[in-house]
Amino acid sequence: MISLRNVWVVAERDLRTFLNYKHVLIMRALWFLAQIALFGLVVNKMLRPDVQEAVGGSYFSFYAAGIIISLLYSTSVFIGYDIYEEADHGVIEYLLSLPVSRKELVLGRSIGGGLRSFLYVSPMLMVVLYLIWSSNPQSFVSPLQLFIAFLALFLFTFGVSGFSITLAVSIKSSDKFDIFLGMINALIVRLSTTLYPLVYMPSYYASVAQFNPLTFAADLFRWGAGLESAVLTAPAIAIFGIISFFSIFTFLGIFLHERVLEGGSWQ
Amino acid sequence: MPEPIIRIVNLTKKFGNLTAVDHLNLEIEEGEILGLLGPNGAGKTTTLLMLTTVLRPTEGTAFVGPYDVTQEPDKARTLVGMAFQDPKVLWVSTPWDILNWHAKVCGIPSNEREKRLRWVLEEVGLWNERRKSVHTFSGGMRKRIEVAKILVQRPKIAIIDEPTTQIDIVGKHRIWNMIRSLRDEGSTILLATNELYEADVLSDRVAIIHRGKLLVCDNPKKLKDSIPGGDVIEVVLGKDVSKKCLEEVERMNRVVDVLSTKPNHLKIYLNKAEEVLPQITEFFLKMRIPIKSVQMSEPTLDDVFAHYTGLTIEEAEKR
Repeated sequence: MISLRNVWVVAERDLRTFLNYKHVLIMRALWFLAQIALFGLVVNKMLRPDVQEAVGGSYFSFYAAGIIISLLYSTSVFIGYDIYEEADHGVIEYLLSLPVSRKELVLGRSIGGGLRSFLYVSPMLMVVLYLIWSSNPQSFVSPLQLFIAFLALFLFTFGVSGFSITLAVSIKSSDKFDIFLGMINALIVRLSTTLYPLVYMPSYYASVAQFNPLTFAADLFRWGAGLESAVLTAPAIAIFGIISFFSIFTFLGIFLHERVLEGGSWQ
Repeated sequence: MPEPIIRIVNLTKKFGNLTAVDHLNLEIEEGEILGLLGPNGAGKTTTLLMLTTVLRPTEGTAFVGPYDVTQEPDKARTLVGMAFQDPKVLWVSTPWDILNWHAKVCGIPSNEREKRLRWVLEEVGLWNERRKSVHTFSGGMRKRIEVAKILVQRPKIAIIDEPTTQIDIVGKHRIWNMIRSLRDEGSTILLATNELYEADVLSDRVAIIHRGKLLVCDNPKKLKDSIPGGDVIEVVLGKDVSKKCLEEVERMNRVVDVLSTKPNHLKIYLNKAEEVLPQITEFFLKMRIPIKSVQMSEPTLDDVFAHYTGLTIEEAEKR
């Protein structure tokens, strides 16, 4: 029997720990601002009007929506680093000695990892929404669409968190994890529609990118924010993709994490 | 005889070819402080980690209260709290956050939590540092946070692994007093240590383990008395003693050996020195040999360890 109170207490620890990484949080926020205020604005000026039109009227809006999703992704994978950090400091032994079940522990970690990322990125999501709406004042935003998009992003963070936990418990060395995740991050962001739409990618890239969870999340957020463009993935497909990603990796992360903890291979 | 609160049955843990704990059998009674004494690498921490269900035994089991740690680990953990040998804290955390969360996860109600946290942080001398990141803390300060966790939790069974390493002498006495008061409030304490004095002054019983095996378990006094000739009385006499006198002393009850280091200087190895000393002084007075000085010394737990292993704790650690 799982106690929801215990799950929440475990998740709360991850939320608090995250807030303690003040420098990381400030640097990430500054990175986001630099991407928007420098890269986004400059590239926006470089692009031809037909390209701007193809991505919904403004590349800047398209890019802002994509970059916030890449930030959401990169903060959600942070839980994997926490797991390594805890193994290094022996904190995992402490967690295993507590009066919470292994299921409650791994479920709480997964929820905490996703929730903290969503909460951290939320104010910046609002900034992006404001930027999109102010650059396209005539665009129509449906509250229902926006709600669905936010709900899907919420699930997306759990999926990414589960994905990171899956990698962290499957790769034994923290160095290998660090290198592998760095490579995955570079590929997963670039082989998605966070920075550019599928139609401008070579077909062999696009065939992979169309199944990327970041593509689903970025295009769904653009749809929710009222960006209208034919280049976006259809919302139904994006929702289905995110739910599948969430289901597979959240439960895979929980299952593997629990198996590793029970089997003692975390040692 | 009361039911033991912890019953360890043939508990064994192997890491590859290394047997860290080897068919350990031990019972711990409710309300006692049991010192688990042994050199580094004796298997103390591995035993404690199996009792807290962090590690799974390779063979055998242990019962924590009514719960078998291999069958009902979740229930077993509700009775246990552990202070680890190495402080288990993330560098970004603050003492307040660590203890507050620990209290919360252990189910201490919010109205009680703040009061208890303040008391414990003041007791361990970290109240003023409660909002600072632990990465600025010394090893001793981090260790105090680890001990504070158990003081906040007040579990039915407190498992404490080397609580005073890296802590100064004033801090040691403070922590010892806190461990005693934890016991007085109803906790059973299982204390792993390689400090002989700590085991001696704190424990109701001491279990000595070496290479994963239990050598002996009893109260410190009985353990010391169990060494034949463990007590030593050194007597300096006013004149030289004859061989006949030496033989007379040797024949006394509980005397194991008599060594004459100088003609007027005797070293008497015996048991229960406090009971034999009046007999010895009476004997020399009867023989009209004046006594210049008498010095009595008891064996230490190191002597007990050496008696059972042939090694001092220091030597055992080096091997």
